[in-house]
Amino acid sequence: MRVLSLYVENDTFIHKLEPIAKLLYALISIVITFLFPSITVGAVFVAFSLLLAISAKVFKRMLLLLNVVLIVLLSMVIIQGLFYRQNVTPAFKLWGLTFYKEGLLYSLLLIVRVVNMIISFGVLILTTRPSDLVDNLVQKGLSPRFGYVLASVLQIIPQMLSTTSTITDAQRSRGLETEGNLFQRFSAFFALLGPLVLNSLVEARERAMAIEIRGFGVEGKRTFVRQILETKTDRWIKISLYVAFIVAVVWRIILWAM
Amino acid sequence: MGNVSTKVSIEHLTYKYPFAENVSLEDITLSIDAGQSIGIIGRNGAGKSTLCYVLSGLIPRFFHGKITGKVTIDGEDVPTMPIERLIRKVGLVLQNPFSQISGAKMTVYEEVAFGLENLGIEKDEMHERIDTVLRQFDLYKKKDENPFELSGGQLQRLAIASVLVLKPEILILDEPTSQLDPRGTTEVFETISQLKTLGITILIVEHKFEKLVEYVDKIALLHEGKLLGYDTAEHIFSTSEIETYGVGQPIYTALCKRMGLKKANGYYPVSFGETAALMNGLKESGMDRRTYDG
Amino acid sequence: MAKNSKLTTAILVLIPVAVGINYAGKLFASALKLPLWLDSIGTMLSAVLAGPIVGAISGAINNIIYGLTTDPISFVYALTSIGIGISVGFLAKAKMFNNSFRTLLSGLIVALVATVISVPINVVFWGGQTGNVWGDALFAFLQSKNVGIWVSSFFDEIVVDLVDKVLCVFITFGIFKVLPKTLVYTFKGEE
Ligand SMILES: Nc1ncnc2c1ncn2[C@@H]1O[C@H](COP(=O)(O)OP(=O)(O)OP(=O)(O)O)[C@@H](O)[C@H]1O
Ligand SMILES: [Mg+2]
Repeated sequence: MRVLSLYVENDTFIHKLEPIAKLLYALISIVITFLFPSITVGAVFVAFSLLLAISAKVFKRMLLLLNVVLIVLLSMVIIQGLFYRQNVTPAFKLWGLTFYKEGLLYSLLLIVRVVNMIISFGVLILTTRPSDLVDNLVQKGLSPRFGYVLASVLQIIPQMLSTTSTITDAQRSRGLETEGNLFQRFSAFFALLGPLVLNSLVEARERAMAIEIRGFGVEGKRTFVRQILETKTDRWIKISLYVAFIVAVVWRIILWAM
Repeated sequence: MGNVSTKVSIEHLTYKYPFAENVSLEDITLSIDAGQSIGIIGRNGAGKSTLCYVLSGLIPRFFHGKITGKVTIDGEDVPTMPIERLIRKVGLVLQNPFSQISGAKMTVYEEVAFGLENLGIEKDEMHERIDTVLRQFDLYKKKDENPFELSGGQLQRLAIASVLVLKPEILILDEPTSQLDPRGTTEVFETISQLKTLGITILIVEHKFEKLVEYVDKIALLHEGKLLGYDTAEHIFSTSEIETYGVGQPIYTALCKRMGLKKANGYYPVSFGETAALMNGLKESGMDRRTYDG
Repeated sequence: MAKNSKLTTAILVLIPVAVGINYAGKLFASALKLPLWLDSIGTMLSAVLAGPIVGAISGAINNIIYGLTTDPISFVYALTSIGIGISVGFLAKAKMFNNSFRTLLSGLIVALVATVISVPINVVFWGGQTGNVWGDALFAFLQSKNVGIWVSSFFDEIVVDLVDKVLCVFITFGIFKVLPKTLVYTFKGEE
């Protein structure tokens, strides 16, 4: 693993959209699902996000992402179904435990929100080259220095971890994790992490020097070797998203006032 | 052309790192002509890297601390020169090929572009320059690969290319081959010989003396922060006290010293070529046996 | 307070390394089967080296990256990581790590900060749960006893955080103390 990224290279319509447009969709759809405590609103967004995932041919990958939270979501149904404080209406009984309607509905609301969050962000992550997203943000005004941090995180971590796997293998072969007592294992933890920290700080200093010498600290106009273009479609998508956002906020305020 | 001018001038340079007990450079004075190649040698902690950092401007911009004396390039004061101008004059290549990769770019091509983007070079010129250096350093086929996929030698060539694409007039290399295998080392030295033909002034810190002497005009010998010698390789390595500074010498020189074989000018040979020529000469004149026995 | 510390190039390069140390900590902890996460050592170290702001940035980026690449849940806990970075940064400035007793106290403060920030997030996103088995069992128990959701969630969280954060703080300082001074100053923000 050279780059910490879930990007799946492909050539679909979604892949070609401007990264910022996809980011905006994720953010705004999340905000809207949280603005409205409505399962229907959430479900609509989940369905739409899924549609995007399917047309980007990343549906299978998406299931893997969702898999990570599956257990928590299930435990949510159980805990809220049983113990939600506003529980009054029994829905069904299972192994002598009474599940309540209010709690189940509440957990369903939480679930659609979380699932939408994962799918809408998933579409962005799975269909966007990470450095393109960063370049896009920098070209739209994000500080290039901050952009550097975001872009380099994805490559430097696997680089650091590639050395750690050999170290942990060595420790494992010494049987530390199974034979050692807790104290021994903590000392082993220290012995592993200490040198890694020292080493990577020394390398960090060298990297800082190397990029300084390549003009990283120079202030002034920058150019970009990869120009991320904004097409007409991108512009329309972004405008509609803004409009949807404003409508949602206004609607929410009206609902409150009433 | 042919008009040799002083490119780098250092006068009474003394420097101490923050939190360090002693000075790392002490009263260094030397000058380098345009187009020359200079080797810097000395044992661990001699101050070789520190000198590189001063010349490339990292001291005092990156490492603070106390610097005195005068360092100029083309007559301009290095410590106070605007960084964007200094970058166009001096490039620096470090020891560890991995830590020199910016880490922010996903392809070799974009990695080379990093410095050009920082300096705001226009797009057309950018592509032209990148294509040129990638071809020059035999990396063009790798241009779409992730930098971290490259071998050590390729990575070090990428580091050199990424610096040279900014068209510096001086290139400083601090132990560029110490973490490379023999093949990578050869790759890097071949690159350096190419650069010499382009008229770039080169400073190189290197422990592989047999290679080094083939490429440099002069050698600077550092010891505990002081400049003990600045002369041609044969001068530097012919002295009897060279071993006391813990730097070693080319094996050919050591061999000839053991055999008492000197060149006509009274110095010991430093390279394979010189040694071979000397031995052939002796053989022809029938003197080889006598010198050997004596 | 003095002006904001400046984000030098060395500090910017430190941030990815801090996140990497977090990852490595988590990796080693699970490889050694330690019953903890130990995944905020990098964030804490960056805060000690370069101050609260850098600690906060490292924390935020840690969770964003983690959320984007492996575990979407951690995305929303960026706020907690920011809190950890800031509190460790300020505690370091206040010399609250000079002896074991102070370090322990600092560890408790950091754990409390982490918990206080996490609880509202737990309530909004997960109806009060943390996703940790032990914590959630306690949560379910407290809920069944009709304890309020906030209090239940607080205990759910602190059970998980207390030992972990205190240990992270001790490990961070153990490592920081042995780092060479000439290396450490490189990452100091200019005040
Ligand atoms: N960042 C630093 N802070 C304080 N002292 C330093 C620093 N870097 C180097 N030194 C000290 O300065 C002296 C010269 O170091 P330098 O790295 O220039 O030596 P060198 O000749 O390059 O050695 P090597 O062959 O090991 O690379 C040494 O005594 C070293 O301990
Ligand atoms: Mg050195």
